[in-house]
Amino acid sequence: MECVVQGIIETQHVEALEILLQGLCGVLKERLRIHEICLKSGPNLGAVASEVRLLCDLEQPEPTWTVRHIGGAMRGAGAEQISVLVRTMVESKVSKNVLRLFYALGYKLDHELLRVGFAFHFQRGAQITVTVSSVNKMLKLHATDEAVPVTPGIQMVEVTAPASAENYTEVVSAVSSFCEYLAPLLHLSKPGISTGVVPTAAAAAASLMSDGGGTTL
Amino acid sequence: MPLKWVLHWQPNAGSTVNSQILSEVSQCVESINGLKQGRWKATITLYKPHTREPSLAAEFPRDFLGVSVPEQPNKYYFIIRGQRIVLEADSSIQTIMEKLQSYKTRIALNFDGFQYQLGDFQLRVGKVSPTHSENLRGIVMEVEYLPISSMEKARQIMGEFLEIWQEAVSKRSLPGQFMHIEPNFAEYGLADHYTSQHTAVQYAIVMAQLIATVQAVQSVRN
Repeated sequence: MECVVQGIIETQHVEALEILLQGLCGVLKERLRIHEICLKSGPNLGAVASEVRLLCDLEQPEPTWTVRHIGGAMRGAGAEQISVLVRTMVESKVSKNVLRLFYALGYKLDHELLRVGFAFHFQRGAQITVTVSSVNKMLKLHATDEAVPVTPGIQMVEVTAPASAENYTEVVSAVSSFCEYLAPLLHLSKPGISTGVVPTAAAAAASLMSDGGGTTL
Repeated sequence: MPLKWVLHWQPNAGSTVNSQILSEVSQCVESINGLKQGRWKATITLYKPHTREPSLAAEFPRDFLGVSVPEQPNKYYFIIRGQRIVLEADSSIQTIMEKLQSYKTRIALNFDGFQYQLGDFQLRVGKVSPTHSENLRGIVMEVEYLPISSMEKARQIMGEFLEIWQEAVSKRSLPGQFMHIEPNFAEYGLADHYTSQHTAVQYAIVMAQLIATVQAVQSVRN
């Protein structure tokens, strides 16, 4: 399982967000360059239609591959009330011929993306990961060198933390309270519920840029 | 990692494998001073596509296998022999496949038995039986040569060891023999330096042989 929230920020404020995150997390950022291939089961395969993502980490000296399956979100009155999405998520690191295997099994390419940005990994009540990235599409199949932004001038921010059935309430509250620190720059919500950019972003970014993140917002 | 050859017991025409042969083989390892060390286990699963119309199954691979090997308990291997694909994955890939509901288990076999040390060689003798059953379906043996990782460099010493081994087994006049079929690893994109993916491919070959043997016995009966 994982807890997840997402938001968007204008590219011009990303530097300020980076300064803020650096101050909050106390760790160095990691560069992010992920080629994401989304596959769907062919029309005749499977008890139900299924979807799987292959992630190729292009930041590594030798690109590494991961298979990710995102399952259904937790439902019910309790899940409605919390501001964080809790969903099943399983990952497996795999060798580089994974795309060939899934094609052979009857999966088809649905779409592919290139995410370019940075990430922070840190412990703050939970093992939190914040990624800030521009989402790019490929004009030609797998041509990651010729990718163009899907939404120019806007970057995506995602906060995730692994959780289990036993501890997810604590993880949800850790993620929620962390998100409050970012509120002046961006608003984070459950995936699929976009709340747009926040009006205070420009002022908050200016303040951060002028004092290097030393002032508590 | 050290290289190994995976062998399977090939019964003589008209005979079948039984537990007496397995016990004789184990005694044979001990008779050439094999030191019993502990148990080992591998699993192999043959999957079938989950199709909405059974007639459409022909569109999908019929030889899709999942293998767990004793030396890598946290890994899982997928093989499609017809297309010469072998994939190494974290064992969590099994959970992903369950969630996808696109393939389901057709046959699941356990390979388990004892491990023996014999100088620089490690032998693993095991019975092949369906999961949740004790029925003996076959016998496998792994011969691992610890000092070398290159398939080519070890070929001679492995061949010599097998000669000694076959001679020891032949004294017992058992109705069959161990066979070693070496796959063309290069076709799977595997190099001379031995890895667990090589082991997984060898298991896939053994699985194909077991199925062929069972089918041959059935066709004789029919």
